[in-house]
Amino acid sequence: MASIAIPKQGGYSRPAVLDWITTVDHKKLGILYLYTSLFFFAVGGVLALLVRTQLAVADNHFVDNHVYNQIFTMHASAMLFLFIIPIWAGFGNYLVPLQIGALDMAFPRINALSYWLFPPAGLIMFSGFLVNGGAAQAGWTAYSPLAKTLGTGMDLWIIAVAMLGVSSTIGAANFLVTMFRMRAPGMTMFRMPIFCWTMLVTSVLSLLATPVLASALVMIFIDRNFGGNFFDPNGGGNAVLWQNVFWFYSHPAVYIMILPGMGIVSEILPVFSRKPLFGYKAFIFATMGIGALGFSVWAHHMFTTGAVLKPWFGFMTGLIGVPTGVKMFNWLGTLWRGQITFEPPMLFALGFLSMFLIGGINGAFSAAVPVDFAIHDTYFVVAHIHYVLFGGSVFAVFGGLYYWFPKIWGRKLNERMGQLHFALMFIGFNLAFFPMHLLGLDGMPRRIATYNDYNNWQTLNMISTMGAFLIGVSMFPFIAAVVMAFLRPKDQPNDPWEANTLEWATTSPPPVHNFDEIPEIHSERPLFDLRHGTHSGH
Amino acid sequence: MAAHGATATQHKEPLSNGMLGFILFIASEVMFFGGLFAAYFIARADSPQWPPKDVLEQMKVAGTAAQSAELKLEVALPLIATCILVLSSFTVQWAVMQIQKGNRTGLIWGLFISIALGLTFLTMQMYDYSQLPFSSGDTVWATAFYTLTGFHGAHVAGGAIFMSVCLVRAMGGQFSAEHHEAVEAASFYWHFVDVVWIALFTTLYIVG
Amino acid sequence: MPKSGKHRFARRAVILFSVALLALSAIATASAELGQPGGITDEARDMHGLYLFTLALGAVVFVLVETALIFCLIRFRKKGDSLPTQIHGSNLVEFIWTGIPVIIVIALFSYSFIVLRDVEHKENPADLTVSVTGFQFQWQFTYCQNDLGKETNAPVKARDDKYQGPCAAAADELSIVGTAKDEPTVVIPLDEPVEFTLKSNDVIHSFYVRDFLYKLDVIPGRDNKFTVTAREVGTFTGQCAELCGLNHALMRFKIEVKSRPDFDSWMAEKMAAKKTAARVP
Repeated sequence: MASIAIPKQGGYSRPAVLDWITTVDHKKLGILYLYTSLFFFAVGGVLALLVRTQLAVADNHFVDNHVYNQIFTMHASAMLFLFIIPIWAGFGNYLVPLQIGALDMAFPRINALSYWLFPPAGLIMFSGFLVNGGAAQAGWTAYSPLAKTLGTGMDLWIIAVAMLGVSSTIGAANFLVTMFRMRAPGMTMFRMPIFCWTMLVTSVLSLLATPVLASALVMIFIDRNFGGNFFDPNGGGNAVLWQNVFWFYSHPAVYIMILPGMGIVSEILPVFSRKPLFGYKAFIFATMGIGALGFSVWAHHMFTTGAVLKPWFGFMTGLIGVPTGVKMFNWLGTLWRGQITFEPPMLFALGFLSMFLIGGINGAFSAAVPVDFAIHDTYFVVAHIHYVLFGGSVFAVFGGLYYWFPKIWGRKLNERMGQLHFALMFIGFNLAFFPMHLLGLDGMPRRIATYNDYNNWQTLNMISTMGAFLIGVSMFPFIAAVVMAFLRPKDQPNDPWEANTLEWATTSPPPVHNFDEIPEIHSERPLFDLRHGTHSGH
Repeated sequence: MAAHGATATQHKEPLSNGMLGFILFIASEVMFFGGLFAAYFIARADSPQWPPKDVLEQMKVAGTAAQSAELKLEVALPLIATCILVLSSFTVQWAVMQIQKGNRTGLIWGLFISIALGLTFLTMQMYDYSQLPFSSGDTVWATAFYTLTGFHGAHVAGGAIFMSVCLVRAMGGQFSAEHHEAVEAASFYWHFVDVVWIALFTTLYIVG
Repeated sequence: MPKSGKHRFARRAVILFSVALLALSAIATASAELGQPGGITDEARDMHGLYLFTLALGAVVFVLVETALIFCLIRFRKKGDSLPTQIHGSNLVEFIWTGIPVIIVIALFSYSFIVLRDVEHKENPADLTVSVTGFQFQWQFTYCQNDLGKETNAPVKARDDKYQGPCAAAADELSIVGTAKDEPTVVIPLDEPVEFTLKSNDVIHSFYVRDFLYKLDVIPGRDNKFTVTAREVGTFTGQCAELCGLNHALMRFKIEVKSRPDFDSWMAEKMAAKKTAARVP
């Protein structure tokens, strides 16, 4: 054809926007993932504040039941599907190839596809607010047959979650091949950084569990739109079936949401204690153990259905505490006799340790089946999930952002602002979520749009609401730190923290090809070896 | 340079990165069908009758199912279709063996026959659908039947498209004894689709 | 940042942790009955015992681990530039601290198993039965005159084919139907096992009474039931605990425990009122 345009040679550069849209570079895709998921974190956070405003006082009319059901459903959906799960893909994308000394992910274009499924899915999910009947309002768990009775927003939710499922599944395959095949010479599996290991186990969980969610979404879609009867007892279906299939995905999904956070904490603690991670291999086996057990505990979400084998699932749920306990002890062992400093990444990692501990302990109450009868579907469970996913995952997210900000953007986040951010968030978090334990024990069910003050629930709810707003306020020092950082030039050296892993061997930010030179790798801490001239490995 | 190290380890592996990724993808597909099968078996275990004819009668009374609906399957035609699909698994494997020996003509014929058999299977399934005395809403049994076979059919169609792409590329002379990874991937996928069908046929038609 | 600043911050961080720890334990212990109400049924008292056991275990673990953490932060904060001994781990230590949680898990499981067995004892057909139907968005409670859980049950009438409720005939039935404006009160007798059978014709609900420390899902197509023996007279609250749609929050009800004579006279009064209402067109 005569009209083929010949690319201009030299001096020509694509507009930056086009460059970001067409990129297949894992670092740029990682950054896109981080930006997009933080955007949805902000949206989900605003929805959370609306929820807390409504619940601040008894018999409130700030929003009506119809709106309330939409905002709490979309809060959870955004936080889980559009923030926590994809932000790990963001960290993973940016870091895994750097940490194993690879040029890029194994399949860069599929990587771009994974990312580009994500923003449209978010828009589709939120477009529910514009349709007749409103957005999804069956909770993020979308229990059937309730989900069958709701409006178009539910279909949009199903389509969005299915798209995100495809995104995570192919992303998981990509991570696995990258880690199996793209490691630099000397980087054996048991020298991979812990963060990579947690991404590996997370990817296995995603790869095997997410398609099961897809099958559940297919079934509910057919029930809703093609007169199907999977979940409709009037057509011989089974109302509990949805819960079985949904939780078969969604319990492993809880580990998908926390394991990479554990990985990040396990990167930060050794660096700021000047010691290796205590029990590197034990930690890996514990991670695998959590992953494997994760597939055998789904029915602990269903004890009150009366349709599951309670002692078995109670026991397996308790067993999850064993590898989790091993991890907690390993983290303490890492701090033991270290030279601990308290930079912001370390503060968030320590915040993770102390809060995730509570998230583990209050989980034990659900494993004790008869206690679960009382606390199931009450605010106690809301407290539990937030101690795990906020006290755990979100603290890890911010720890990771403060830790890798110099690497990704070449600038350091202001320490004072970081300390203020941490202090406000830590206090706000406990104010917001600790009272929920007591509310739950006192019988306040979750997902209720309003309550009367018959049982004196108002005081604790008010405290919780104030805590939630304090968390909101704590974001301002973070934003200030980011703005201040971007006003400064890129001045960070390769390795500002005296860290251990390979990403710190290259410039900050790294060049397009990641490394000019890869140091020799003799252990899981190649940079430590380089600094101290010793082989510290296994 | 890092790239040297990374590519150096690649060549030693028996499976290429692409194939490994593709196998992981098939693993996720197995889990997808696993979810649908699990739903079928849970519904089955939960019903006093299977197929749930009692439920269908109730639905007829309630007016939610057609009076003419009947929960029964004819085995003859699907049995022939099963043989055809199994045969196509052999022909596609034969095609792979031919290109491994460098025989491009064999590859083209093998792919062509496999695609033709696949399309025959789909046509027979569509004809079978048109003859069935129940619709997707007539009890959970019917819903599960159409969902399982329908999603399998979609995968057959996907596999046929995959093989057609390989066929066009083969006719363009793009494959050789050394380079025919796409053909192997297509054959893996086709075998997977075949195995799913055998499981489906056994579950739906034989065990019932 | 200067060294002294870092140390000051270390102190602050430690103080923050300690204050948080104290505050959390203070709030938890200060609230009545260690967070959870004691419960008014035999079953609830069993389950509350298990709750206290779990709480005690959790509190011990919490205090030990947080103390160890705070100790590390104070004792091992950076004091110089020397590199600490690079300990990579110890199989013995790993073995021990795998063992500790295993023992805790087995203890917790054994105790829960015993309580679970006691709570889910078999129902007795002679017990009073309350049929509960959850619907969007309230409850219906139905008593049958021949199933009131006492020796002098009303004679069983022939089954009326036109009637579709849980009793033998419409005349036998006492139904209390709630509305959002008018929360229903379900009444049960003291010191007797009472069986609740749960039904739904629309979506999943959950029958939850805080002071039973118990809830059971109300699932379409599935008959769930449970039995409790109340040991305290009074009025208690309950509500739906499984999101069931628009007015889920308004599915509240009250449960009143009365002594047997009070219950009988309440029942007689209600039945009389029903007859009067039937006579007046």
